[in-house]
Amino acid sequence: MAIEILVPRLGWTMEEGVFIRWLKQDGDPVAQGDLLFELEGDKAMTEVESMDAGILRIPPDSPEPGSTVLVGALLAYIVAAGEAAPFEQRSRGAEEKRRGGEEGESDVLPVPSSPLLPLTSAPPLPVSSAPTISPRARRVADELGLDWSKIKGSGRTGRIVEADVRAAAEAVQTVVAAAAVKEKSVAPVATQVAPVVAISGSATRAPLSATRRVIAERMSAGVHVAAPVTLTSDVDATELVRLREQLKNDKRALAIPSYTDLLAKIVAHALQEHPALNSRLEGNEIVTERAVHIGIAVDAERGLLVPVVRDAQAKTLLQIAAESAGLIARVREGKAGPDELRGSTFTITNLGMYDIDAFSPIINLPECAVLGMGRITPKQIVTLRPGTIDEVERVAVRRMMTLSLTFDHRLVDGAPAARFLQRVKQLVEQPYLWLVS
Amino acid sequence: MRELTYTAAAREALAEQMAIDPTIFVVGEGIGPRGGNFMTTAGLYDLYGPMRLRDTPIAERGFIGLCTGAAMTGSRPVVDFMFLDFILDGMGELINQVAKIQYMSDGRLKMPIVLRGSIGVGGSAATHHSGNYYSIFAHIPGFKVVLPSTPYDAKGLFKTALRGNDPVMFLEHKLLLNTKGPVPEEDYEIPFGQARIARAGGKGCRATVVALASMVRKTLEACDQLAKDGIDIEVIDPRTVAPLDTDTILESLHKTGRLLIVDETFAPCGIGAEIAAQAVDRALDDLDAPVKRLNGAFAPTPYSPPLEAAMIPNATTIEAAIRDLLAE
Repeated sequence: MAIEILVPRLGWTMEEGVFIRWLKQDGDPVAQGDLLFELEGDKAMTEVESMDAGILRIPPDSPEPGSTVLVGALLAYIVAAGEAAPFEQRSRGAEEKRRGGEEGESDVLPVPSSPLLPLTSAPPLPVSSAPTISPRARRVADELGLDWSKIKGSGRTGRIVEADVRAAAEAVQTVVAAAAVKEKSVAPVATQVAPVVAISGSATRAPLSATRRVIAERMSAGVHVAAPVTLTSDVDATELVRLREQLKNDKRALAIPSYTDLLAKIVAHALQEHPALNSRLEGNEIVTERAVHIGIAVDAERGLLVPVVRDAQAKTLLQIAAESAGLIARVREGKAGPDELRGSTFTITNLGMYDIDAFSPIINLPECAVLGMGRITPKQIVTLRPGTIDEVERVAVRRMMTLSLTFDHRLVDGAPAARFLQRVKQLVEQPYLWLVS
Repeated sequence: MRELTYTAAAREALAEQMAIDPTIFVVGEGIGPRGGNFMTTAGLYDLYGPMRLRDTPIAERGFIGLCTGAAMTGSRPVVDFMFLDFILDGMGELINQVAKIQYMSDGRLKMPIVLRGSIGVGGSAATHHSGNYYSIFAHIPGFKVVLPSTPYDAKGLFKTALRGNDPVMFLEHKLLLNTKGPVPEEDYEIPFGQARIARAGGKGCRATVVALASMVRKTLEACDQLAKDGIDIEVIDPRTVAPLDTDTILESLHKTGRLLIVDETFAPCGIGAEIAAQAVDRALDDLDAPVKRLNGAFAPTPYSPPLEAAMIPNATTIEAAIRDLLAE
């Protein structure tokens, strides 16, 4: 690689100088710092030293000693040992051409130039294959109780950003898998975003809607992220039925609570005594709320929605009844606001209308428990004489209901969950206990 | 409201404060009868005379030391460096004496000295006349470092500088000196450590951009272009980098989730790095994207006009950097 020796600028305004003489000869080895030639500038004669080491090669057309040269003019080359000087390659090519070379090759081979310096850039960090999420989006997902692991990220590198989380939350208004139905249920209708259903052969095909996809993700999380266990208990709801009948028959009753309302009140009461069932997992902390916000699963046109009765522990039964009626009406009309559909600490779902006895409801993450209500149906109940093994004291027909409590075993153990359910059972069977507080 | 140039606004602050406070005097090369290379003291020699407008030889270390002693003994010198680059000759005085005297004397000695000079790349001022260097001073305990970007800020911040008891680096970007803006006639101060929201973003504002000195105007130009595409950006001008108002920046970040810092001078160890570190430390859960910085090239300033222009951010590259941040 040939290094060019050019006429240097010795003074700020110098444009030309006089090349006095060489201090080395063509072919001489040169070390860094060796004096190469003398040059006269504006003010004085200077001995110019070499910045490089190699072999000095002076081309035949280099300026003669004593001639005036322009600043920047080429004087010579320094090449590596054994390397041909650029002017030699040129003349060789020219000689071949003179000798009658047929090809129209240019007689000046390109001067070897320094290799292009590689662009310096930091090596890219290995990209992890697991989904990545920005800290802000993770915070928002936690606030909304959304499992973000399946959301598709729109950020560069596939990162999930806030907008992706908010879009996913908008798409899903519901969490609990099983539909809950009030007295008059509307048969589920295909949502407006229903994609085209194709019919081919014996099967119909419909692409997964955004709503359905998010429900699928949340249901999956409720089963696979949580550690769900379902406890069932047969509860004697006769007194509850009697209470409700009395309210129905009272012409001046302000509101008639549904069985779901009644259980909401009972659950709110029981959760005050068993606050562990009113918790959620946030990172490495278990956050236990004092207030009880009951989510009531409702079957609406869009799908399953869960409006929230806030501070149920502080409201009377009739207040809860009036509020839930309003919420459910708004949900059915599609007019419920987003604030009415989030923030629950415990969810209740009722499938009794469909003659379901017991089931395994899925937890509404990030809550830690959900209570499923089955149908209230007359059953024959046996009471044994105390102290005996099998002597019947009484056979009676009672109105029985099965309660199914699914709890998250990551947060709550079996015994505390069972104690909570036992208390709920007791409050259902003896309404006076909570009516007076 | 009347409009003044940046230089005239700062000069008005100086003139008014010199009228009230007889202990203020100005020291520098050509600041006497000549009125300063950049007209920083034009007309003041006629008002206040040679005792208070003292021309010096080219001896920065000497007259910094002289003013350090003057400040310690009860007067309030303003040292006018013309080009801030010339201050580098006196780094020993600055860092070991000026910055530390109050500490070393347990507060018995005050250091009410204002060190002013023009900074920044522009006009082919080249390697020795284009320095910014404020990151260095912001890094040393004891200095206030002030970077006004408008005539309004220049007057208010200069008043505060002249009334305090601490050393103040008052840095005026050379390309801002002739810019005009509204300046109230009445007296007012702008406290140090109080950022200005140069462009307030509305709901749906997509990013926070912090810009320094001459970058503020260029960033606002970039935002005007982005607004045509419906992209709303909030722009914050810290006005002082020591103390630095990170609270205002982080409040904005809380709204927008994305942060870009535009600073003409070099990236390594700069103000942008400081802001980014604080953002990640104090507001990690507000970040929706990596914190980005747009800086000038890490190289001495070229003389050649096209090279000089290519090495600092302009409205086009700022706009591209904002779009790049939004794509993260």
